[in-house]
Amino acid sequence: MAALTGIDVPKKIDFIKFGVLSPSEIRKYSVVEITVPETYDEDGLPIPGGLMDNRLGVLEPGQICGTCGNTSAECPGHFGHIELAEPVIHVSFADTIKQLLTATCRACGRLLIPEAEIEAYRGELENPPSYKPNIRERTAKEIFAKARKAKICPHCGAKKLEIEFTRPHIFHEIMEDGSAVRLTPAVIRERLERIPDDDYRLLGFDPGTSRPEWLVIQVLPVSPVTVRPSITLESGVRSEDDLTHKLVDIVRTNLRVREAKESGSPPLILQDLVDLLQYHVTTYFDNEASSIPPAHHRSGRPLKTLAQRLKGKEGRFRGSLSGKRVDFSARTVISPDPNIDISEVGIPVEIAKKLTVPERVTPWNLHSLRELVRNGPDKYPGANYIIRPDGVKIRLEFVPDRDAYADGLEPGYVVERHLKDGDIVLFNRQPSLHRMSIMAHFVKVLPYRTFRLHPAVCPPYNADFDGDEMNLHVPQGEEARSEALLLMKVQDQIISPRYGGPIIGAIRDYLTASYLLTKDDVLLDPEEFARLAYEGGYDGPLPRPEIEGRRPMYTGKQLFSLFIPESFSYMLTSKWAKSSGRRRDVVVKDGLLVSGVIDKASLGAEEPDSLLHRITKDKGTEEARRFLNPALKLLKEYVTSRGFSYGYDDLEVPANVKEKIRRVLDRTYRQIFKYIEEYKAGKLTPIKGLKLEDVLEQRVMNVLSQARDKAGELLEQVLPDENPGVIMSKTGARGSSLNLGQMMALLGQQAIRGRRIRRGFRRRALSHFKVDDPSPDAYGFVRSSFRDGLSPIEFFFHSMAGREGLVDTAVRTQQSGYMQRRLVNAMEHLRIEYDYTVRDPEGNIIQFIYGEDSIDPAKSDHGAAVNIDRLAEMVLLDEKPDEPKASREEKMELAEDYGGLLTPKLAEELKTVLSSREMTRSSALKICERTIKLFKGAMIEPGEAVGVVAAQSIGEPGTQMTLRTFHYAGVKEKDVTLGLPRLIELVDARKQPSTPVMDVYLDEGHRTSKAKAMEVAKEILFTKVEDIASSIEIDYMSGSITLSLDRELMGDRGCTTKDVADAVKVGKRKVSYDDETATVTVSIGNFDLPMLYALRDKILKTRVKGVAGITRVSLEERDGEWVIVTMGSDLRKVLATPGVDQTRTRTNNIYEIALVLGIEAARQALVDEISKTLEEQGLEVDMRHILLVADLMTHKGILQQVGRHGIVGSKVSVLARAAFEITVPTLAEAAVKGQVDELRGVTENVIVGGVIPVGTGIVDLYIDTSKSGGKKER
Amino acid sequence: MVLNPEEKDELLGRYHIRPDQLPYILSSDPVVREIGAKPGDVIKIMRKSPTAGVAVYYRYVVEG
Repeated sequence: MAALTGIDVPKKIDFIKFGVLSPSEIRKYSVVEITVPETYDEDGLPIPGGLMDNRLGVLEPGQICGTCGNTSAECPGHFGHIELAEPVIHVSFADTIKQLLTATCRACGRLLIPEAEIEAYRGELENPPSYKPNIRERTAKEIFAKARKAKICPHCGAKKLEIEFTRPHIFHEIMEDGSAVRLTPAVIRERLERIPDDDYRLLGFDPGTSRPEWLVIQVLPVSPVTVRPSITLESGVRSEDDLTHKLVDIVRTNLRVREAKESGSPPLILQDLVDLLQYHVTTYFDNEASSIPPAHHRSGRPLKTLAQRLKGKEGRFRGSLSGKRVDFSARTVISPDPNIDISEVGIPVEIAKKLTVPERVTPWNLHSLRELVRNGPDKYPGANYIIRPDGVKIRLEFVPDRDAYADGLEPGYVVERHLKDGDIVLFNRQPSLHRMSIMAHFVKVLPYRTFRLHPAVCPPYNADFDGDEMNLHVPQGEEARSEALLLMKVQDQIISPRYGGPIIGAIRDYLTASYLLTKDDVLLDPEEFARLAYEGGYDGPLPRPEIEGRRPMYTGKQLFSLFIPESFSYMLTSKWAKSSGRRRDVVVKDGLLVSGVIDKASLGAEEPDSLLHRITKDKGTEEARRFLNPALKLLKEYVTSRGFSYGYDDLEVPANVKEKIRRVLDRTYRQIFKYIEEYKAGKLTPIKGLKLEDVLEQRVMNVLSQARDKAGELLEQVLPDENPGVIMSKTGARGSSLNLGQMMALLGQQAIRGRRIRRGFRRRALSHFKVDDPSPDAYGFVRSSFRDGLSPIEFFFHSMAGREGLVDTAVRTQQSGYMQRRLVNAMEHLRIEYDYTVRDPEGNIIQFIYGEDSIDPAKSDHGAAVNIDRLAEMVLLDEKPDEPKASREEKMELAEDYGGLLTPKLAEELKTVLSSREMTRSSALKICERTIKLFKGAMIEPGEAVGVVAAQSIGEPGTQMTLRTFHYAGVKEKDVTLGLPRLIELVDARKQPSTPVMDVYLDEGHRTSKAKAMEVAKEILFTKVEDIASSIEIDYMSGSITLSLDRELMGDRGCTTKDVADAVKVGKRKVSYDDETATVTVSIGNFDLPMLYALRDKILKTRVKGVAGITRVSLEERDGEWVIVTMGSDLRKVLATPGVDQTRTRTNNIYEIALVLGIEAARQALVDEISKTLEEQGLEVDMRHILLVADLMTHKGILQQVGRHGIVGSKVSVLARAAFEITVPTLAEAAVKGQVDELRGVTENVIVGGVIPVGTGIVDLYIDTSKSGGKKER
Repeated sequence: MVLNPEEKDELLGRYHIRPDQLPYILSSDPVVREIGAKPGDVIKIMRKSPTAGVAVYYRYVVEG
């Protein structure tokens, strides 16, 4: 290939096979046996046979390797070895050794199961049926379980002895008399040697790559010095690597063991020395092995040995292999620049002079490139390097005569020239939570030292300018540049794949400006109109002024209309109008803004179905950019010349309103005092399931928040529309009405963990208050506004609440970050195949049709493939009025014909749209055809990394979620985990949610009346004896226990004395009961005191009726029927209860659903729960992402967790698993089992530097074998 | 719904897959027991879909 094309084809790794090195292999690889514990002699030369022997490789440039004769730059380093005087256990394999010892015979080494079974298993493994997945793992597990139970060896009849394993590396055998005998590694090794290959294979291991005895180390490989370089400090002192230190210890101890053995030392001393050797070898591999002290450096710092080098975020896998450092990148502070294009990025000249683009010299650019070379590296625009056709790179900085090189330039040369305007670069801000965190911008070289960013692209990056820094990367190859250009441009990212709406758009002052410009009374004289139009880049003819005459005037709407694409019509409700209850006020007809104000609803970022969204969808992304850019420039220019400020005076509240607010508060305080009185008198109406204090607290909190709302309302009534604060909050530019209220009226209750502030001193929050002060002020209620200023105490409370906010954010970002990492790791390898299935790289199907309709959410219209309604509207606008209308039959026929090409849902929609409107046949046809066209256009493309997109779409909003559990406002006693914790719980596939709840729907006989519903509820509620007993007495003389039951409680729970008696009657107890007095007596013969006490406790815990785990029930009326809401969940038992509607009853325990109703039901429940959780937080996420997560979590037939024990843990690739979590054990397991990584996934290929098999990386070259002489080759 | 052998072959042919590349469902799954499917069968599932109205899914019955 290389010879054919002249292009260097890089070597490609096909697969990686893991294995254990055998002692003979280690010796074979070794270039030197290490016997001397010293490293260097007095002259600083490496001692031969020492750990820095130059045959192991060389470190410094001038030295020559003793093995290969290369210098340090060329020599890769060579392994040595240490012959251990006594074998030792390899820590990472200790668990495997323990398993092997327990599963095999101590005498003959065979598996401890009968020959017949061995044969049966072997037969099955030879030809495994495909409906038994993971058969190898499962057989191994089964054999282990059986062998553990065996008493004698079925092969040689030897007795089996228990093995006791003490972490990390000590084994004992329990002899028949109960004494424990130490098993030395030497003995263990002998036993492991006896295990036959065939038996070993049955346990899932591969004798070809790992014989069991190799797990005990006899020969220790010594890594080349290049792996553990010593560093020479400035002072000339040599400092050795941690690994070298550890190896020195091993060599030294090894010598001592050998001496002791040879001199015939007493066994005890020898044993101690061997233990020491074992310790050093163990810590050499893993210095964090459990229950042994880590080895320390002289300074006291724990040593970083092999396992520590691989593990964790900064370890080899995650730190060096999955995360690579790159050239051609820059980072600096960002600042805003509304004068550049949204698709541009401003780059400081200084940076432009350092970052280069390789440009091939052609006859057409020869001249200009010569000029660049002449300018050299220091003068912009210049060039830093030239590469001659023979591949030699010349650094222009060191060239004395650049002119000569410039003149020598000819086609075939490559010039690495400075970045210039129009180059494409990738721009990124961390954390990169979604794909819009890296976008392609066009370069605009500017003075000064910051990156300049258009404010409208802040939302996708989540950037602001309070000191944020961003990264920039310059693609170097043609392919990279093309991909950036075709896939990553800013305007192509306007629509977020998360919800199919725009994520880029106007923010802050742009929105203020758009309101100020487009409100009804804005008039502009022609001069100003022309100036602003020019600023926006308008170069067409001026329209006719709205007001003609001597002093012609234009309206603001006219000005804005100039930039709306021609023949564009739309209608929507502005945010401004919404706040005053009006609807559909913004009307755009034929590219003219007819009425309504433009605000966030029309132009804003993260605002679906806006004007911007419609333009992007209907006219394309380039048109959207061409609309957004000038519109924003115009708005900026307008607001700059008009002026807009918000000051202290704007916060003034009229005296009478202030008085009103004061009165509201006073009334509230009185109300609270009243509640407290009632509470003290015990007259407070209790709420079921709540303590009386809590009821009081809830009421107080309620009235206090009402008071603040009321104050806000009072304020809103008097604030004029032209108040800048009102303008900003109503247009969505910044702030909310709550913020206005806090600045102008009062701050309101400061809360910690959703409750009033009570912590601090005993029975009071601060020492400034009396104990048990009833006033709300004492518990963090702030009556002052920000404008008037807070009192010191109020300020303190406010700071407490503020601190909570900060802590909350910190914890949340951590949690959601980890969730995102898990999601991405679980889903990164999912992609669309050419047959539109979603598969993992092994070819396992996750979804048969992506999102069940194969529509790309990023190309969808807010989730739907086609907005047929709007399509019809547009088609009908062009309809000629005189043509005859089509009949219903005609239209239905069309709908039928075309519906077959669409999803059932769209087909139905098409039908309704066609039948509900009058139209001609040609219009109907047009609608059908365009629906199909749009549908096809919105289809997802093969290769798309749908997994990553889904993971990002669910993970990214995680940061925006509230952390804490949310208490349902109002009186209902529901307290369910929501928000981020709930989402994490769901993707964790926990067996038990932290707050299990059920909605029990009832059958026809019970759902209508409350009493009937109550009956069912009583059957479900778990009732123990202690729940209904008023007292329990023990008669020590007769040995009986008498229960007195509370009639009222019994009534509440619907049980009788007899029920209790029956429940208690078990075994030999004698039970009698008396309905009159509601007592139950239990007596036992042959009693003693402890027995009686035990019996009493047992009785109290006895279930009388109901379903275990259901701790609370309440009735709720929903759509005219009674529904039981429970705390606690047990689907199986509840469904079995008479009166329950089995088809509609739900639980939030997904695992339970999987058990009772099956995996499909669990998948649906998962989808419902995830979307409910996101929806409740007001976060929009396309269904397709949720469906994919749910399908992935259930595609193995069981609920799999998104994490190391689930989806990531069951990945085929060893490297992917090792790079995620539990690195070292994963590698150890792969080694003994001889696992092979075929490098088909994403992580693996990142690690080995391959092409990742998603997106543009799935394109593969196949050769038609029929034409290439029938040779089967790929 | 349990697919008959021809339907199963057609499905596997359509996607060029081995049966073990289909999503699984355990033979102990309540629904599998209800419809009497055996390990090695492929079952067809009609789902209500929020995006497409109706969606078809297949699962391969495996032991467990």
